[in-house]
Amino acid sequence: MNRKILLAFAASPEECEILLKVGVIGLGNMGKLHLLNALKIKGINVVAAADKSEKNRRSVEKYHVKTYDDYIKLIDAEKLDAVIVSLPNFLKREGVFSAAERKLDIFLDKPLARNFPEAQAIVQKAEKENVRLMVGVNYRYFPSVQKLKSNLDDGRIGDAVIATSELILNGPLSHSAVPTPVPDWWLNKEMSGGGALLDLGYHLIDMLSWMFGDLEVTYSNLGYRLNLPLEDSGTVVLESKKRGTTCVANVGWFSKSIFPDFNFRINVHGTVGYDSTDRYAPRNLRVHAVKEGTLNFLRRLSGRKIRYLSYTYYYSSFHEILELFFEALNKGVELPVSLEEQLDVVRVIDSVYREHGAG
Amino acid sequence: MAKVVLTSLKARDFTDDEIYRAVERAIDGLDFSFRDGIQNVVVKPNLCYYWDYSTGETTDPRVVSAVIDYVRHKLGKDVSICVAEADASAMKTKYSFRVLGYDKLCQKKNAKLVNLSEGNIVDVRVNVGGKEIALPLNEILLGADLIINVPKLKTHNFIGATCALKNMFGAISKPRKFSYHEIVSYVIAGVNKIVKSHIIVVDGLIVRGSYPKKMGVIMAGDDPLATDFVALEIMGFNPKRVPYLSLAVKEQIGKVRNIKLIEDGARLSEIKRSFPSHSFLLHRISWNLQLKMLRLYEAVVGDVIPPILEK
Repeated sequence: MNRKILLAFAASPEECEILLKVGVIGLGNMGKLHLLNALKIKGINVVAAADKSEKNRRSVEKYHVKTYDDYIKLIDAEKLDAVIVSLPNFLKREGVFSAAERKLDIFLDKPLARNFPEAQAIVQKAEKENVRLMVGVNYRYFPSVQKLKSNLDDGRIGDAVIATSELILNGPLSHSAVPTPVPDWWLNKEMSGGGALLDLGYHLIDMLSWMFGDLEVTYSNLGYRLNLPLEDSGTVVLESKKRGTTCVANVGWFSKSIFPDFNFRINVHGTVGYDSTDRYAPRNLRVHAVKEGTLNFLRRLSGRKIRYLSYTYYYSSFHEILELFFEALNKGVELPVSLEEQLDVVRVIDSVYREHGAG
Repeated sequence: MAKVVLTSLKARDFTDDEIYRAVERAIDGLDFSFRDGIQNVVVKPNLCYYWDYSTGETTDPRVVSAVIDYVRHKLGKDVSICVAEADASAMKTKYSFRVLGYDKLCQKKNAKLVNLSEGNIVDVRVNVGGKEIALPLNEILLGADLIINVPKLKTHNFIGATCALKNMFGAISKPRKFSYHEIVSYVIAGVNKIVKSHIIVVDGLIVRGSYPKKMGVIMAGDDPLATDFVALEIMGFNPKRVPYLSLAVKEQIGKVRNIKLIEDGARLSEIKRSFPSHSFLLHRISWNLQLKMLRLYEAVVGDVIPPILEK
């Protein structure tokens, strides 16, 4: 890759004005969000995007980004350095393989894969093709989660004995400003790979694994209140072999809770005290939005960098993790989220599904 | 003269038996004449989204179950009963029937579950307030001998409140009904001009105002407009100031003079007092204002708006 050769000769990445050429594969809600975020990130140039849907392609025309109806055409026609892959779960493997074979670095929406064998195949492919692949586990970058992790690492809570976590939303059944039906793949077990546990539990297990490490499942339960072929709720109890912490992850798709209501928290009970993400999350997201919006306005006025999407609290983490990914590529340093960690998250989830015959 | 019967359940944990008895009492109070020759009955619940009955947003399948039992009791076991709903802008019945428990209910009750967006659909033209509109409707609905409308008692952020007339909007075959929103009052009046609800059984077991509340109300009516007038009164609205209702009055879709209200174990004034009222106007102004401010902020500061908030 030309960029890697250039980096090798440059004393520092800043010395050569390298603009990573980036493509976006998939322009659904998440893909479009990544595109909008990528357009604001310095050091990268979003050259094109691809989506089969004409409506989705049209929706990004105003950003003057070239579009393709097939991502293969995109990655063959444009000389890219990296791609953002935001495809439905059943298309991820193919998307990652195609990009990796063309030696493109990849930012991939979570989950890494639908199941453990598929995750292994994706990771092996990235290693074989010597490309850098990172999964967008954005929840790690919520300010409240960062603060909790920092307190934990500093020993403020003592030894963490019990950690409980919750993420209860309406998953793919959420209602957007313009009503749109849930895409069929979401509720098809074969195509999605799983329900609430894979969708939301992925974040919780990733964060618990990142905080406490080396998790093994000791108990699990999956719920089917909505009579769908996929679980709409789940409880997983995990034991950290590294720190001895008992961790609980409760997830659900069954709630009508709509943004800006956000039913997420991690509570850690340690030998010194107790801490929770709730302590550091805004109590009222509307008040938070006004405050952050005003601060960004002042930042813009004084010529400082704004904190993108911080007014939403939730969505700023998507910008942050994407920026960190491209920063790591530009600087040629280690990616902030390792593939080993992500393989382990899929392994844990896969073991729950297998236990319940839902894999 | 239109009749509306108001009943309520005393307990908060409504049993199937209590629900049936309330439905029976309410419909019996209408003195509805079940004429001979009724073979096809369509029951139309409100399944606007995947949020189940506990949220107060969709019709409780136990109320529909009681309605089916009542119809079988009156018309015999052989009468054909369809529970029907059409796909909506954000809802597919193939999922909502499962998620909301209607597939199990219909299996148990030997009733047909019909997606009104599939099958034989015809465009029916109707003149409303001087405006001619064509509405795609399923022949099952058009050919029904008896239509029982089973709406919810709930407020609505877009049109204020929803009950019997608005529930029939959901029966229009076109899934993307969102596109009607510019002329929503005309479409609501139009569909009710074409399709007459013979009996209305309002599910107010869990109502939805500013929050969901277990109120145990069952209301029956023999006229959708009259039923809506009482329902809106309960929800704290002046029905004459709700555009689709005033249009329905002009179009003479129902009778609103001399509504005979029968309070059978439930007082309208008490129910009205305990309804969790909700100002939809404030919500709309506030939501539109928020979106406008967001766009201004985006233009001035150069920040990003999440696609989920884009119109």
